[in-house]
Amino acid sequence: MNLFTHPALAVADSNNAVLYTFLVYMVGVFVIAWLSNRLLKSRSFLSEYFLGSRGLGVWAFALTLAATSSSGGSFMGFPSKIYTHGWSLGLWIGSYMVVPICVMGILGKRINEVARTANAITIPDVLRDRFRSVAFGLIAVSLIVFFMTFNLIAQFKGGSEILRTLLAPIDAFASAADALPGWLTGLSSLGGEYVLCLVVFGVAVIVYTTYGGFHAVVWTDVMQGIVMVIGVIIMLPLAIGQASHAVSNGQGGGLEAVTRNMARMVPPRKGTATLSATTPGAAVEIPSGSWAFVKEGDTERLFKIKSRHLIATGQSEISDVEIWEIVTPSDIERVRDRLASGSERSDVSDVVTLQIKELKDYAYGAKPEEGGSYVVGPGPHRTSTDGFLPLSLAISFFFMWAISGTGQPSNMVRLMAFKDTVTLRRSIFTVAMYYSAIYFPLVIIFCCARVLIPGMESEPDRIMPQMAVELTANIGMGWMAGLLIAAPFAAVMSTVDSFLLMISSALVRDIYQRNLNPDASEKRLKYLSYAITMVAGLGALCGALNPPEFLQDIIVYTGSGLAACFLAAVVYSLFWPRSNAQGCIAAMLSGFGAHLAMYVIGFLKGDGFSPYRFQGMDPIIVGLFTSFIVGYVVTVMTSPPPEDLVRKYFHKKS
Amino acid sequence: MSSGETAPVLSTEHSEVFRNSRREAIVIFSAWVVALLWAVPYCYFNGYGQAVDPETFSTTLGIPSWLFGGILLPWVVADVFTTWFSFAYMKDDDLGIAGDEHRSQPATGAEGGGA
Repeated sequence: MNLFTHPALAVADSNNAVLYTFLVYMVGVFVIAWLSNRLLKSRSFLSEYFLGSRGLGVWAFALTLAATSSSGGSFMGFPSKIYTHGWSLGLWIGSYMVVPICVMGILGKRINEVARTANAITIPDVLRDRFRSVAFGLIAVSLIVFFMTFNLIAQFKGGSEILRTLLAPIDAFASAADALPGWLTGLSSLGGEYVLCLVVFGVAVIVYTTYGGFHAVVWTDVMQGIVMVIGVIIMLPLAIGQASHAVSNGQGGGLEAVTRNMARMVPPRKGTATLSATTPGAAVEIPSGSWAFVKEGDTERLFKIKSRHLIATGQSEISDVEIWEIVTPSDIERVRDRLASGSERSDVSDVVTLQIKELKDYAYGAKPEEGGSYVVGPGPHRTSTDGFLPLSLAISFFFMWAISGTGQPSNMVRLMAFKDTVTLRRSIFTVAMYYSAIYFPLVIIFCCARVLIPGMESEPDRIMPQMAVELTANIGMGWMAGLLIAAPFAAVMSTVDSFLLMISSALVRDIYQRNLNPDASEKRLKYLSYAITMVAGLGALCGALNPPEFLQDIIVYTGSGLAACFLAAVVYSLFWPRSNAQGCIAAMLSGFGAHLAMYVIGFLKGDGFSPYRFQGMDPIIVGLFTSFIVGYVVTVMTSPPPEDLVRKYFHKKS
Repeated sequence: MSSGETAPVLSTEHSEVFRNSRREAIVIFSAWVVALLWAVPYCYFNGYGQAVDPETFSTTLGIPSWLFGGILLPWVVADVFTTWFSFAYMKDDDLGIAGDEHRSQPATGAEGGGA
C-alpha cells in the first residue's frame, strides 16, 4: 500500500514538506547573499550595491522585474479573488497581456541611457541630474521614502501572515511560538505565532539584503521567479483534471464541465448564529472550519463555522458566531463526499445545535436574475450591488496594471540596470512569456478550486496553500505541496527586498552622498549602506509588530500613489526636450495631491480608507491625468531648460 | 556631476537612441490602447448582464466564450506582437558608458544568461 494514499497521511506529509522546503529555500537565499557579497569587493561599491554595476543579463533582468512586480498579492490575494468572484478575474487581470512590453519597453531604453549619461544609480539621481535641480532630487527622495516606508511595513506584515498560513498546521511551529518569551510576544497584539513569523521572515530578508545588496536581491528574485512558474505549471493540469473528475463523477469533461458547474453556483450566505451543545452541559470543541448540517423538514441546510470555538462544561451557548451557508446543491454534495473521505474538517452536526440569528445574501449574484454570476461579468460581490467588476473598474484596472506598473520607481530602477539593448529586447519577450504562463493559468486553477474545495469564502486567503495540499494529496505526492506553497512566500520576499534597497539607496546615495558628504570615502559609504539597510529593515519590522489599520488599503494607496507622482515627471524628462524642472516638479506634486485628494474626500464622506471614485474610476486615473496636464501647462508657461542640458540628454554625441 | 564623466562634443541633431526610443514608446502605447479598446468593450458587450442558462452557456475550450474572445485570444495576439516587436522592430542602440563602469571590473557573466 502506498504510504501517501490516505488523505490524512498525505496532508501530514505535505505539512512536513512545507517546513523542509522552507529550510532548503532559506539556505539557498543565504548562499546567494554570500556569493553576491564577494562581487562587492571587486567593483565600485555604490553602483554594485544598489544597481548591480549596470550589468544584468537576460534571465537576471527579466526575472527580477517579473518577480518584483509579482508581490505576495499575486499568489495569495489574486487566487483569493478568483475563488470569490469567478471568471471575471480574467478581465480584471487582462491588461497583463501588454504589461511586460509597457513596463519595460516604454521607458527602458531611454531611462537606461539617461542614467548612464548622468552617472545616476537611483531614480532621484536621474531627475536631479537631468534638470540639474537639487530640489527635484530631494522631493523625489521624500516621496519614495514616504510611500516605501508604509509599503514596507505592510509587506512585512503580509510576508509574516503568509508564513503563518503556511506553517500553521505544523506542530513544531505551534510549539516554537508557545515557547517565545512573554516580553517578545507582548510586543504585538497579534499573538506569538505572528511574532515568530515576523522575526523569522524579517531577519532573513534584512540579513541577505544587507549583506548581498542588489545582486543578492536579483539572484534571489531569479530563484523565486523560477519557483513561481514551476508551481503554476504543476498545478494547472492537476487542477483541471481533478476538478472535472469531481463534477462529472469520473466521466471527465475537462474545463468545460467545471465552467458549467460554476454556472449553476449561487454565492453563499454570511451570517451569525448561536451555538449550543446538543447534550446540555457537555463541553464541546468546535474546530475552525467545521461543518454543520441542519435538518428542516425534508431538506438539509449546510453551514460552515469559520473560527474555533469552545463550549465549556456547564456553558449553555456561544452567541454571535460567524457562519456561512452553502446553498449550491452540487457544493453540498461535494462537502458530503469530502467529509466521508476524510479530506474535509470535522462535521459537528451531532454535537452542536445552531440557532441562526442573521443571514445575508450577496448584494450581487444571489438573485435569480443574476444567476451564473461566477461565469459572467461583473461577478458576485458580498456588499456592492454593482458586482465585483463594473465597467468603470474594468477600465481602471487596464490603467492600473500596465500604466501604473510603468510608473513604479522599483521597476524603473531595474530598467537602469540591464546591460544593453539586446538584453532589453530579449527580456521583454521573456517576461511576456513568463506572465502568460502564470496569470491566466492562475485564473483557471482557482476557478477549478471553487469546484474542488467548496466553502472557502470564509477564509479565502488560505485557498492557495489549501489547493496545493489538496492537489498533491489527491495524487499521493503530498511532498510536492512544499514546492507549490513556496511560491507565494517567494513572491512576497522578492518584493520586500527590492523595497528595502530602494529606501536605503535613497538615504545613502540621494541624501548623504549627494547632499551631505559628496567626498565620502568608498569605505564609509559601504558601512553606511550596510547600516542604513539594516536599520530601515529593523524599523519596518518594529512597525509591523503593531501594524496600522487598513493595511491592505495602504498597499493599494502607495502603489498607485507612486505611479501618480513619478510617471508623468519621468516621461516628460525622458521624451520631451522642452520639459523643465518646474514643469516636472509640478507634475509630481499635482499627481501626489490629486491622488491623495480622492482618499481625503472618501474619508470625509465617511468611507474610512476607501477612496472617492470619480465616475467610478480608481484614483490612479485622476492622479495620472492631473499630473500629465499640470506638468504640461506649467512647462509651457515657464522658461525653457538650459540649452546645454537639452544637448547633453537629447542630442548626438559626436 | 560625475567625476568620471568626459565631455563629448554635442551636435544639434537629436540622438539616434532618443528618436528610436520615442518611436518605440509610441508604438507600445498604441498597442496598449488597442488592447484596452478590444478587451473591455468585447467583454462588456458579450459577457456582462446576461441571463445564464448553464446548459447552453457558450464556452470555448472550456473557458467562457466572452473571456476567450475578449482576453485569451488578444493575449495570444499580444504575445505575437511582443515577439515581433522584440526581435524585428526594436532597434539596438548604444546606450553609452557610465562613469562608474570605467572603474568596474568587466562583467564575469555570472549575472545570468545575458546576450
